[in-house]
Amino acid sequence: MFRYYLDLAWRRCRQGPSMVLLLVLTMAIGIASCMTALTIFGALSGEPLPGISPYLHVVTMDARQAVDANNNDYDKPDAYLNLTDAKALVDAQRARQQVALAQSYTLVGRPDGKQSDQVQGLLAHGPLLAMLGVPLRHGRPWTAEEQAAQAPVVVIDSELAQKLFGTEDAVGRSVSLGSGSFRVVGVSAPWKPRTQFLDVQRNQGNVLGQPEQFFVPAQAALAAGVGPLTAGECGKGAAVVSFQSAEVDKCRWLEVWVALDTPATVAAYDRFVAGYADAQHAAGRFVYPPQVALYGVPSWMSMNHVVPDDVGLNLALAGAFLLLCLVNVAGLLAARFLRRQADVTIRRALGASRRDVFAQHLVETGVLGLIGGALALPLTWLGLWIVRMQPVAYADAAHFSVSAFAALLLLSLVVGLVVGILPAWRVCRQPPAMQIKLG
Amino acid sequence: MQIQPILAALRRHRLATALIALEIALACAVLCNACFIIAQRVSAMHIVSGADEAALASVQLTGYDSAQAADVDARALAALRAVPGVESVSPINSIPFGSRRGTAGISTDAAGEHFGGVIEFYVGGPGSLEALGAKVVAGRAPQPDDFRAFTGFMPDGGSVQITRALAEHLWPGADPLGKEFWSLKSHYRVVGVLKDLVRPDPTGWTPEQRQWSVFLPAQPGPYLTGSYLLRANPGDMPRVMRDALAAVAKAVPEVVIDREASQSVSDLRHDVFKNDRVMAAMLVGVIFAMLMVTALGIVGLASFWVQQRRRQIGIRRAIGATRRDILHYFQTENFLIVGGGIALGMVLAFALNLVLMKHYELPRLPLYYLPVAALALWVLGQLAVLGPALRAAAVPPVVATRSV
Repeated sequence: MFRYYLDLAWRRCRQGPSMVLLLVLTMAIGIASCMTALTIFGALSGEPLPGISPYLHVVTMDARQAVDANNNDYDKPDAYLNLTDAKALVDAQRARQQVALAQSYTLVGRPDGKQSDQVQGLLAHGPLLAMLGVPLRHGRPWTAEEQAAQAPVVVIDSELAQKLFGTEDAVGRSVSLGSGSFRVVGVSAPWKPRTQFLDVQRNQGNVLGQPEQFFVPAQAALAAGVGPLTAGECGKGAAVVSFQSAEVDKCRWLEVWVALDTPATVAAYDRFVAGYADAQHAAGRFVYPPQVALYGVPSWMSMNHVVPDDVGLNLALAGAFLLLCLVNVAGLLAARFLRRQADVTIRRALGASRRDVFAQHLVETGVLGLIGGALALPLTWLGLWIVRMQPVAYADAAHFSVSAFAALLLLSLVVGLVVGILPAWRVCRQPPAMQIKLG
Repeated sequence: MQIQPILAALRRHRLATALIALEIALACAVLCNACFIIAQRVSAMHIVSGADEAALASVQLTGYDSAQAADVDARALAALRAVPGVESVSPINSIPFGSRRGTAGISTDAAGEHFGGVIEFYVGGPGSLEALGAKVVAGRAPQPDDFRAFTGFMPDGGSVQITRALAEHLWPGADPLGKEFWSLKSHYRVVGVLKDLVRPDPTGWTPEQRQWSVFLPAQPGPYLTGSYLLRANPGDMPRVMRDALAAVAKAVPEVVIDREASQSVSDLRHDVFKNDRVMAAMLVGVIFAMLMVTALGIVGLASFWVQQRRRQIGIRRAIGATRRDILHYFQTENFLIVGGGIALGMVLAFALNLVLMKHYELPRLPLYYLPVAALALWVLGQLAVLGPALRAAAVPPVVATRSV
């Protein structure tokens, strides 16, 4: 029966080719614009580190140690802590995993000075590689003992290793970092989060994650004069220069991230941090009530507007446009089906049930929808290409993927069926006898 | 033209009619809001800066110690001033559309009880206000002894020039000259009013707040280094900028030139609004595609109905209707369907606007968008139906005598 319906659909398509073209093109344009917006939205939403980031939380509190008359209100949660507090929280080991980190951008070179590169990396206190799931190709992460002893050790990524030493396996070699010489203990695979969620303040304007090419214990780095990209929030009397300065002892510059598995552990950790912060406030170190709060990755990203509002706005518009195309096609289909009332009534008189008529018309619109989807494929590709040409931070997210292709096929089939339901229902309600008389 | 028979005919095609009217309604809602967003972005892009943008450029240096600041500053200034074509080089903390370093909250009383808003302090050395090209419309420009030395974030007070917009916000209707305001413990007195001076980051503020700027004269010193305003002949700007950056790189090789921030002010302005430009272009594309689809939908449906009614048209013609009557019939029919769609569309437009206001900080849709959109859709409908209607009018009366 299905094949017979397909055959009928095909015959009908040949009868009015210009109308069929109009129908499928309208569906194709609607599907393509929606797919373009969905692809970008999909690339920018979702987990920045699949399987890992859902468990990560950032610690925020008002940890200011001096009155700031300019800004007495703590109007936005602040994740930056100074080294003392960040270390205290990390070393307490009260979460499954915890690490304090800050973005850095500095010159890493061979000790002989023959090769060097200005690269992005993370200063960290804690088991950074294990917590963020940075894959190691060679060697090992730094140990707790090395970190405590402020040993000059570093993990670099394979691309930097290749560039500096001409080989990936650079374990055991030394690199110069600031004024120090650091021993490479591990080489990681190239690594970046899908979207930027670590240290968003120092990564403003970056929607997509940037490759982190070196990972180094924070205190050892500071001792060698390598600091964070910017000094963070500094009290009075701090150095004026803030770019890559290691003079951060008067500043709040580290974010503390913790891995917590269940709501119960989140609540328990929240209580622990609140207890710590309240004690500091009571002791007079924190001059304001600390207002401790933990944020998961999605809420932290949306609060910091990592993904621009325009992306959501585009998706809403594309959705509205697809809806408009669907209504348009449904209207045309209603007119098209009802013009063939005579055929339907003859089929009904010959014994076809309403259900059969309904199914026949849905098969026809489903076929039209799939043709529309096939046409939408090159149009989506074109739409993504246009977005890639734009000077926007999310341009690189506009790439066609296999999942997008599957979504497109599904969407076009759904579109074809949805637009057919009303017209098909209308046409199958025709009473048989009446129409034969009229015909 | 009688409307009754048209309505009677439409009643026989309720589903198709309702769907096309719904499509018009959606088009109306999207059209109003998309045009409104475009208008918002375009008006933001055309903000008056109050500065001679074409003749200005910014040079930004970072990556040096405070101990080196005076030395770096002296060498950089000497190198920049020696570049042929440079008319002036002035140290200034913030640059229109560029670096932002003087954002602070102020109050209009010493106790800090009457909050005046968050404004931008342009802290500049001698000659920088003239170099900016900001016009003083009341009071006076800075005098030589207004330029004070300072040792912190900014001078501890002084005589300042404020923009008209800020004056109107702080003291509505009053003469701002001689008025005072405070920021932290610092105390400032207004001695001049500037026509306009945009904040460095206008996109992050409401249209009213975008001009809340103050010019604060200051002596160059260790806390006002590494940020320079270059003035040169606009036609010569690309060459001057290239030479200036090369000269700085040679004179102070140990510092980092912030290349992204070291550009002509026109280029900085272009960068600031690039997202708005992209968004506006995309919206224009959406509007175009949407109107296209709507028009084609009307053409398709009208063509169908004309074919379906050939016999009836023939009968009408045979019993005396003129071609003009037939043409008007289809035009009126279209006018009624589109009209119904617009009525619903106005409600949808406001609903969509409410949603956008909630999620995307868009202001309320002005009412005059609605009649304009309605007119546009009616015109679109009439244009789309014209072809099928003319074909209908061309149906000869003899059709009535033939069976289908």
